[in-house]
Amino acid sequence: MSGAAVTVEQLAAGYGSVPVLAHVSLAAHPGQSVCVLGPNGGGKTTLFRVLLGELEPTSGRVELSGRPAYMAQTERTRLDFPVTALDVTLMGTLAAGRWWLPPRRAERHASAAALERVGLADAAGTRFGELSGGQRQRALLARALVQDAQVLLLDEPLSGVDPASATLIASVFDELRAEGRTLLVASHDVESARSFDLVICLNRRQVAFGAPTETLTRATLQATYGHELIVLEDSAATRAVTIQHHEHGH
Amino acid sequence: MPSPLDLADLPFLREALLELVLLAVTGGVLGAWIVLRQLAFFSHAAGSATFPGLVAADASGVTPIIAGIAIALGYAGAVQGTTERRGTPVRGEGTGREHGEATALLLVAALATGVILASDVFESGAVVDRLLFGTLLGLDTADVLLSAAVAALATAGALTLGRTWSAVGFDPDGARALGLSTARADLLLLALVAVAAVAAIPAVGALLVTAIYVLPAAAARMLTGSVRGLVACALALALAEGVAGLYLAYWLDVPAGPPVAVLGALVSLVIAAATRRSAA
Repeated sequence: MSGAAVTVEQLAAGYGSVPVLAHVSLAAHPGQSVCVLGPNGGGKTTLFRVLLGELEPTSGRVELSGRPAYMAQTERTRLDFPVTALDVTLMGTLAAGRWWLPPRRAERHASAAALERVGLADAAGTRFGELSGGQRQRALLARALVQDAQVLLLDEPLSGVDPASATLIASVFDELRAEGRTLLVASHDVESARSFDLVICLNRRQVAFGAPTETLTRATLQATYGHELIVLEDSAATRAVTIQHHEHGH
Repeated sequence: MPSPLDLADLPFLREALLELVLLAVTGGVLGAWIVLRQLAFFSHAAGSATFPGLVAADASGVTPIIAGIAIALGYAGAVQGTTERRGTPVRGEGTGREHGEATALLLVAALATGVILASDVFESGAVVDRLLFGTLLGLDTADVLLSAAVAALATAGALTLGRTWSAVGFDPDGARALGLSTARADLLLLALVAVAAVAAIPAVGALLVTAIYVLPAAAARMLTGSVRGLVACALALALAEGVAGLYLAYWLDVPAGPPVAVLGALVSLVIAAATRRSAA
């Protein structure tokens, strides 16, 4: 595996007889961050499901350093569910496999520490549904952190969060990379992808994979997003933005 | 007006009281998860779905409880299986809501079969009334033992699986990603609810199972903001409504199910009005 924390070779996956993703190959080493770009239905979620072991690939090979931690989107959670930020973080300890027992003291301490790390120590007892959008995202990040995984899969972690939360989340990502953890971040934000070590562009197949300077070209982005891409050009810089609804499925 | 002490003094009422206390324990512990996982319709349907089996068992001399449990477990498995077979690539599945269509489909089939069996095949008559509305006089030791076993199972299930049910109910995608066996945990919850519904039939009847398993927990949901508080509050309400409903049934000389159900509905309405008023 040549020291890579995540290796994907010639991956193809789908649902039943419907192929959704093909010809995906990537390798990410400890400490690297990978931005997963693509339109809705492009295969970002399918790639994550394969990496999480929820979906068997139809062909190809996947290898990871241990079980990855996953940070879901807040819109997938039930805001009326009577759980606090601490309860949500403690759910991360279920990944250790002791689901039939109450959390141990060490797990409670780890959860409190994870909340502290994302700046939610004071809101530990607050109902998840009463937190702001950015705070909810941070609570879900704390749930991922408490799993102490080498590989983290983050599904649009900065989507719809306030600037303060975005800054805090980004700084935690930097710390995680410095600790040698590997981050795969699904995103719709083409511009923010420039700050990652690697970018993979998906549109039901792999369009490109490599450093941002190689992958975030006008031609690649147009192949990835088609007419959903708008390129803004002026004398100083060229910027690309995508227009799409916030829907998920593949 | 009879003395409330009769509930403890008269042997048949003592047995009924014990039965309702045991059902209230199940109602408190399991009712919280029925409400949180949006399984109210399923719990109602599980009781009603056993109707054809109970009619046939009664007419053929088979122990109705065994037939009821077998059918309820089969029903839970069929609902979970139908829901899973619907299979979809879209993430976000896993909460109780998507069990609704499968529940309705199988409920209609079961009720229709039960009506045909009761009216045209076995001509069950009074047995049907007892199955649908329950009775205080017909309880026997086996009924109470079943309720005790179900209360113990529900408590053990909530203690060991509560964290998983909570994780799945809050965020099914996240729960699956934690490596939890969410489908198995859901099936166990459905099976527990189904068996609990059968246990309640002798006392409150197939049609009013929700009175003891859903109404107290639904009312408690309006009063508390934590899972633990919900269980405690649902348990207290289920006990209070069960005992008061039994006394009313004795006083008015009616089956226990209807007074327990009416009390549960009234308490829920009063709490809903009070909480709405305090929120305004």
